[in-house]
Amino acid sequence: MTAGALFVIVALAAGLGIGVISAGFDRILTARLQSRVGPPLLQPVYDVVKLALKEPLIVNAWQAFCACTTLAAAILAWVLFFLQSDLLLVFFVQAVGAVFLVVGALAAASPYSHIGAHRELLQMLAYEPLLILVFIGMYLETGSFRLEALFAWPKPLLLRLPFLFLVLAFALIVKMRKSPFDLSSCHHAHQELVRGVLTDYSGPLLALAEVAHWFEVALILGLFTLFWPDGGVGRFLLPVAAWLGVIAVDNLTSRANWRWMLGCAWGLGLGLAIVNLVWIR
Amino acid sequence: MRALRRFIDRMRAKSPWLLHFDCGSCNGCDIEILACLTPLYDVERFGVVHQGNPLHADLLVASGTVNPRNRKVLENLYAQMPAPKVVVAVGACGLSGGVFRDAYNVVGGIDRVIPVDVYVPGCPPRPEAIIDGVVLGLQKIARGGEGR
Amino acid sequence: MDVRVCGILVVVLAPFAGAALCGILGRSPSGRRAVVLTTGGVVMLAALSLLGEVPFRLEIPAVLHAPLEIAFFAADAVLLAAFLYIGAKYRHAAILVLSFLQAAGLLVFKGFLARSAGPPGGVVCDALALLLVLIVSVVGSLICFQALPYMDNHERHYRVSPSRQPRFFAILLLFLGAMNGFVLFNDLGSLYVFFELTTLCSFLLIGHDRTHVAVKNALRALWMNSVGGLAFALGMIEAYRSAGTLDLAQALAAPRLEGDAIYFVALALFGLACLVKSAQFPFQGWLLGAMVAPTPVSALLHSSTMVKIGVYFLLRLAPGFPGTFLGQALALAGAFGFLAAAALAVGQSNGKKVLAYSTISNLGLMFACIGVNTGSALLAATLLLTFHAVLKAMLFLSVGAIEQHIESRDIEDMRGLYAAMPLTAMITLAGVVMMIFPPFGVLLGKWMAIEAAARHLPAVVMIALGSALTVLYWARWAGTLLSDPLGTRFHAERQPLLTWLALGSLCLGTAALSVAAPWLVEGGMASIGQPADETAYTVVRGGLESASGSFAVLPLSLAAACGLLLSALALRRASRARPVPPYLSGLQTGEAAVFRGPMQQPVRVAARNYYLDTLFGEERLNPWVNFGGAILLTLILGGVL
Repeated sequence: MTAGALFVIVALAAGLGIGVISAGFDRILTARLQSRVGPPLLQPVYDVVKLALKEPLIVNAWQAFCACTTLAAAILAWVLFFLQSDLLLVFFVQAVGAVFLVVGALAAASPYSHIGAHRELLQMLAYEPLLILVFIGMYLETGSFRLEALFAWPKPLLLRLPFLFLVLAFALIVKMRKSPFDLSSCHHAHQELVRGVLTDYSGPLLALAEVAHWFEVALILGLFTLFWPDGGVGRFLLPVAAWLGVIAVDNLTSRANWRWMLGCAWGLGLGLAIVNLVWIR
Repeated sequence: MRALRRFIDRMRAKSPWLLHFDCGSCNGCDIEILACLTPLYDVERFGVVHQGNPLHADLLVASGTVNPRNRKVLENLYAQMPAPKVVVAVGACGLSGGVFRDAYNVVGGIDRVIPVDVYVPGCPPRPEAIIDGVVLGLQKIARGGEGR
Repeated sequence: MDVRVCGILVVVLAPFAGAALCGILGRSPSGRRAVVLTTGGVVMLAALSLLGEVPFRLEIPAVLHAPLEIAFFAADAVLLAAFLYIGAKYRHAAILVLSFLQAAGLLVFKGFLARSAGPPGGVVCDALALLLVLIVSVVGSLICFQALPYMDNHERHYRVSPSRQPRFFAILLLFLGAMNGFVLFNDLGSLYVFFELTTLCSFLLIGHDRTHVAVKNALRALWMNSVGGLAFALGMIEAYRSAGTLDLAQALAAPRLEGDAIYFVALALFGLACLVKSAQFPFQGWLLGAMVAPTPVSALLHSSTMVKIGVYFLLRLAPGFPGTFLGQALALAGAFGFLAAAALAVGQSNGKKVLAYSTISNLGLMFACIGVNTGSALLAATLLLTFHAVLKAMLFLSVGAIEQHIESRDIEDMRGLYAAMPLTAMITLAGVVMMIFPPFGVLLGKWMAIEAAARHLPAVVMIALGSALTVLYWARWAGTLLSDPLGTRFHAERQPLLTWLALGSLCLGTAALSVAAPWLVEGGMASIGQPADETAYTVVRGGLESASGSFAVLPLSLAAACGLLLSALALRRASRARPVPPYLSGLQTGEAAVFRGPMQQPVRVAARNYYLDTLFGEERLNPWVNFGGAILLTLILGGVL
């Protein structure tokens, strides 16, 4: 029992750590690419602590419910991943979080929240099928959806599933809300949509959503480790490489519109995934 | 308890998200405010993020003269900011109405409508002065923390 | 008398008796109420009493053979005469031709081929049949209960006089009997009678309001289902020719030769009948048209029971599919239906139409599972069938209650429903959550479906795309329900007791069944479809485990309960915090969602959901999905020849 509890605590700490470092490094790296110095590494922590201690302002009380559920689902998905449960199950649980964030935004009677929420839904429409197909590819190769079996797989999946690796990276861009797919929360273009789906979450609720986002990013980064067998440096390098690629794309691209995104995901992403699936079958 | 309190205050001072509202300035002050975000001054070093949303902001940086039309907007934005919050008035117009203070449609400076914590004079003030004003405001947040 | 005989007699005959009584006593509201409540209660109890008895088979006593045969033949004749009469009355050529063909085929069949068909096949009540009986009897009765206050309101609203409710409830009860008969009888000839009887009930109930649109849509449902009826009749004749018996269990058990084409022709024809009955593309039109009927009808016939005939019957026939081209084609057609209907649902703002498309979509997924035809795929189909039936009934009833309150079925008009009808909004929200999220049953089924279909590449790609679209249209609806004016406190609104009974028990029932899913699987569901060549799932620590995956139902349910509790506490705390209007560029006024526009005039914010009609509208997609559906149908029929 204590071992189990300890394990969960370690899992939570790891998720938080990965999320914070990813978010912090992202801001530094982006600043450097724009020849600025950028904030300290732990800036995301400062932001979240500050937000958590601000006065709670409530646009619609259901937003509190939704933000809380979002965080709970994100943490649960991460813990399930850490406990080496079923890959599809992890995916379904993280979808709960993503959906409730949208539901909360829809509950606020503001057009900015609404448009952001719908764009977030379209983003989910873009990345969800891709993630499922990546998992299908892993299953076809290893014969299992169990993370236990996938982690223990002796051969590098990357060599058999290179396109699915790219597809997962594509999903990571959307999931990290990076341009050109930051349509819903507008990290870079506040004048267009304020903060989109996050507009009417404020103070502590925003902090909850932010922490949930850390766990979500940690989860997707964790998925990259499956592409390399245990013991190799690749298990560490692959997520880092994918992450660097995402930041590079973020800094090199301008913003897209949702039609373009959907076309890209359902055309290019799906095409790559299917080609890869056909050839390993 | 004291240590916790100090820790919280530090976090607050390290993460100022600001909302910029132009009440009706000539845009001179606004250009200088935005200049603070450019690589030359790079206020993100101090965790400053420019938010377009009062629900997310800690500091309201307001410039320009207040008139009867935009005073309601100013009040609304201030009311939508969660405590603790600080208002920084930037530029001569924001401080007192500046050269426009006698115009028929001018109410006056920002402090006629909402309480102002820091006044940054100048026409327009230099980015260094604005950053200085923001830092003063942050000290106020870190010291007080109680908000209004 | 034996419990089994007694139970079977009651679940099949009591609804017929109730229907007759309703015709006699139904004039007075209290008499009607008494008849419906008694019949529903009796049928429910009888169905539950069968729980411990399965599987069993009852032979019909020899003395009854001749009378039964005559009765079924007479029923056939009456039904087809009724169809011909309807076709003639409304001058509908398709109905006339299809009914005539059926009548001619049957006459030839009974007159020349099946003279020596032997005794009727009796009653087979295995796990699958009992599951359907339970759904029909319990869910169906609850829907009938809710229909009592609903129809009172309905007639008051449309000023119907004299009341046409006796007829309505008689048909509704008749339908329950027909459904139970269809799932219990083992004789293809009797199945055909019940099949056609459900078609007739559907026609009468869709046209109940007698408006122009209602009649038009009822006729469409009739002619499309007559295509199914004709296919069923031809399939029956083919099955008899190839297997030499009308006894379904024997026909399926009969050894079949390698490449025995005729056997597959029968299966393909039955497949066609099932696809039509379950409104798969390109026959989706009749189900959408059926949404003009009063909502209890949509809940009973067009989501939870009648459209499940197709799935049920194919599950029965599932042993015939493995390794055949037919199975492959069915998997494709089903997955296509899942994707296409989900895409069409995205384009809809009419709540009942969204539910209708979602029904077609889920039925498609079930067909895909049956087509894939492994042990776990059939289990997935069974789980989906069960949970979809209960949950969709609940969602339809909620929409019915909402519609009578706000006088609209448009999702846009449900904005802020939480303020007007807090409890109904909550139940609807719970329904949406149980539709798309773990650990609830529908998602459990979907999980199994994906695992089972993983090796069927085209199907799994379509399922992946369809799932994402499904999440989109449900999440949008959930958010709309919650958007409310500030500071509404929770309270249960006034609704008739029977409405609360139906909604509450269906909602809690789904949740309870979801938690109990592993044990349901262990306790009989796993045996459905085919002799288990693989013990697909085992129950380990309250979760389901297969060779390739695991779904921790009980632990996840506990986690979900904890999460719900925490979130509810957060909600409570939040309702005491300082309320602010949403961000409206600083122009908000005291009133929610109103800002000060030009000349200081108040302007209401107009925010509408995305329905993406340029991509997912009916006008745009219909030609494509009908074309795709037709191609796949040709594949199913043509592939066997």
